[in-house]
Amino acid sequence: MRRRNIHTWILQTTVFLLGIFACLMLYIVYIQVVEANALAVNPLNHRGTAAAAEVHRGAILDAQGRSLAVTSPNGERKYPYAAAAAAVTGYIGEKIGATGIEGAASRELSGDSEEFSRLGPIAQLLRSSQGNDVRLTINAKVQKAAYEALGNRRGAVVVLDAGTGAVLAMVSRPSFDPADVEAQWEDLRQRADSPLLNRVLYGLYPPGSTIKPLIADAALTEGITTQQEIFNCTGKLDLGNGYTIADSHGEVHGRINLKQALVESCNVTFGTLAMRLGGSKLQKAFERFGFAKSLDGEMASAAPHLPDFSRLGKGDTAQIGIGQSKLLVTPISMAMLASSFANHGVIMRPYMIDEVVTPSGTVLRKAQPSQWLKVDTPEQASLIDGFMEQVVEHGTGTSAAVRNIRVAGKTGTAENAAGADHAWFIGSAALPNRQIAFAIIVENSGFGGTEAAPIARKVILSLLDI
Amino acid sequence: MMYKANWRLLLLPAGILLLGTGVLELKQYPHLQTDFLPWLAAVIITSFLVQFFVQRRLPGCDGLLFPLVMFFSSIGLIMIARLKPVLFIPQLRWLLIGMLVFCLVVFFAEQIRPWLHYQYLLGLTCILLLLLPLVLGTEIGGSRNWLVFGPFQVQPSEFSKILIVMFLSSYLADHRNLLTLPSRKFLFLELPPLRFIAPLLLIWGMALLMFVVAKDLGSALLFFGIAIFMTYMATGSKSYIFLAMVFFSAASTFSYFLFAHVRVRFAIWLHPWADPNGQAYQIVQSLFSFGAGGVWGTGFAHGHPGFIPEVHTDFIFSAIGEEFGLLGVILIMTGYAILFYRSIRIALDCPTDQQKLLAAGCGIVFFLQAFIIIAGVTKFLPLTGVTLPFISYGGSSMVSGFILLGLLTALSKKENGHA
Repeated sequence: MRRRNIHTWILQTTVFLLGIFACLMLYIVYIQVVEANALAVNPLNHRGTAAAAEVHRGAILDAQGRSLAVTSPNGERKYPYAAAAAAVTGYIGEKIGATGIEGAASRELSGDSEEFSRLGPIAQLLRSSQGNDVRLTINAKVQKAAYEALGNRRGAVVVLDAGTGAVLAMVSRPSFDPADVEAQWEDLRQRADSPLLNRVLYGLYPPGSTIKPLIADAALTEGITTQQEIFNCTGKLDLGNGYTIADSHGEVHGRINLKQALVESCNVTFGTLAMRLGGSKLQKAFERFGFAKSLDGEMASAAPHLPDFSRLGKGDTAQIGIGQSKLLVTPISMAMLASSFANHGVIMRPYMIDEVVTPSGTVLRKAQPSQWLKVDTPEQASLIDGFMEQVVEHGTGTSAAVRNIRVAGKTGTAENAAGADHAWFIGSAALPNRQIAFAIIVENSGFGGTEAAPIARKVILSLLDI
Repeated sequence: MMYKANWRLLLLPAGILLLGTGVLELKQYPHLQTDFLPWLAAVIITSFLVQFFVQRRLPGCDGLLFPLVMFFSSIGLIMIARLKPVLFIPQLRWLLIGMLVFCLVVFFAEQIRPWLHYQYLLGLTCILLLLLPLVLGTEIGGSRNWLVFGPFQVQPSEFSKILIVMFLSSYLADHRNLLTLPSRKFLFLELPPLRFIAPLLLIWGMALLMFVVAKDLGSALLFFGIAIFMTYMATGSKSYIFLAMVFFSAASTFSYFLFAHVRVRFAIWLHPWADPNGQAYQIVQSLFSFGAGGVWGTGFAHGHPGFIPEVHTDFIFSAIGEEFGLLGVILIMTGYAILFYRSIRIALDCPTDQQKLLAAGCGIVFFLQAFIIIAGVTKFLPLTGVTLPFISYGGSSMVSGFILLGLLTALSKKENGHA
């Protein structure tokens, strides 16, 4: 009896200890299987940088194979397009980390990749001292044209393939030379005009009148107006308490329908529509077009700032209708809005990395265009698109017109606290081989129709003579 | 005979050592190092001689234990060669000394056995050993548990854990009748007279003292665990477990509010991402290691475990997790589970209670120590620094480990050869 007891107690203790040991083992399985990837890419984890220092970093190429970033034989990182493509390539430095494609595709460029890491030690056999090349959807010629079209003004240009979401150009000014960032770090960081900020993805601006296509779409969807309704624009919309919304240049549009209101960018009509919609329907419309969401991956962006729609007063509601008040958007979100009308109501997920190619030419990863949101019916999208075509044909956006190309767009002139108005132009163009969408902002420069729309024209022309 | 002379099992650790050092040599080709070769050869040859000697001396003893421990040591050695090359030869030397001590323990097992009768002397020596560093000790790595003799640094707690296992096995075996016969009832607890449980209370108190004064949280936890598990194995009394838990909770709460270093450890465990570049740097880097390793590991010498401070001692398991991945981790952990299982098998086959408890106690020391440090570096439990038996760098830990292994091997010998 006594003997059996001590055996039992020893066995009980054994089972208990083996039990807690098994729990520990399961916990480690969880860490190394489920959490492994998140831990491996954590920005505080310097292993990627350390591994990168041991290999000849791969090149960043544009869609035609032109180099945007290459490593010279002595290990120096060169950027042939310098500041013009800085918003795309980003920079990399041991002490300053990495941004842009240098950051988002760092593992691939240094010869490591998710696909590789799943192979474990076998990957060491396949890995060479040469990193992979990353081929982008960017067209360096268009990129350069857009960069030069902005001139020395502050602003941003983004051009998408509306049908796939492929980013053709992404420009932010003022810019910086990626090869020189580490040396100029303190200066670049502290400058008041924020050259390190990628304005396409993280710049937040009031959209001004470029939001009107969305409001028009919402008004028709919610049935609070029809194409036939006639609005009477007296040049001023009384909001009570002495506040009014006026049309620019003191214009009076008289009796107009929705289409004419959009073509002439009539503030009175859109202020009226926004008040009819009210907070909750406006919120529904902004959420439908993806304005409550941000992007991730290489296009990681800020989400637009939406006001608290449930607490909007009458005046602020009307202001939302003309893209003012507390509404702030990113250029990429506006380009995606423009693409939805050009692409039958579907917004494709924007992407820049088309392929990852090993030094021996094997394609490790090929991008698959995917739908981001279905925001509209094809009929209504093409209706709004038709309105926007009129804007370029004989409305406020005529300086974006290109002979023999169907261009649709919407201008915007956004009041802001920083000074003169921001000039906006968003829209789309039907090129022979693809449908493109774009958003352009020129900070504190004045009218969208005269400052931003001509840049769209230059971008379209640069795409035509490839 | 149940156990054969498994000398072939030693080919595995020998192979690991040769391949591991080979990989490292190739990596730094053409700058080859040769100074470690005699030591390496000595370790491999000695390991075969030891196995041969032990099997001759104690026919029928467990022939798996030594090769298993050599497997741990060989993994530890190549990791140390890769992480801290300057410590490779010292660790080879410690392994040689360890194997020698192992032989001595096996050879003189019959002479050591009578020591167990002087249980209170064992207990007193143990206390003395633990108190020594508090008086004469030096603080290394935040713990005041080192004695420094010229070029040598000794961790007395590594050796006192052998004494405590010997003391407890002998004390508990002699007094288990008294300890299990309840003389008084207190609420639902059945407790023997105070003078019988006094030695147990003393051990708990000592653990607390280490916890608080020497800041050696790992050893404190280990001692406390050994005392609880061995007491339960001897008495089967849940009252002791309850009492210990109350004591443990009270002591933990008490020291949490009283001592800043305990609070810091606890805060790091709960919120490592609050200060990932400061106090939680080690544990965060360790987690990155496991993450970087994933299932397959980066491959030997292809990871970057060097980001973890003290990677060759307390955090060597993180380096294994990075370079050998989950597979390596599971292999090592299974190894410790097998070592524990074999100890329990040996315990159950022993003829007397005292020997049963001694064998099981040795097994528990290895297993609990491995558990505490593996749980610490993976953030399963708050980090408390103890060595990973036979793998971490360290002479005290290596030698004391081989003493326990020697006791275990000696106990595994079938007295009447019927098995």
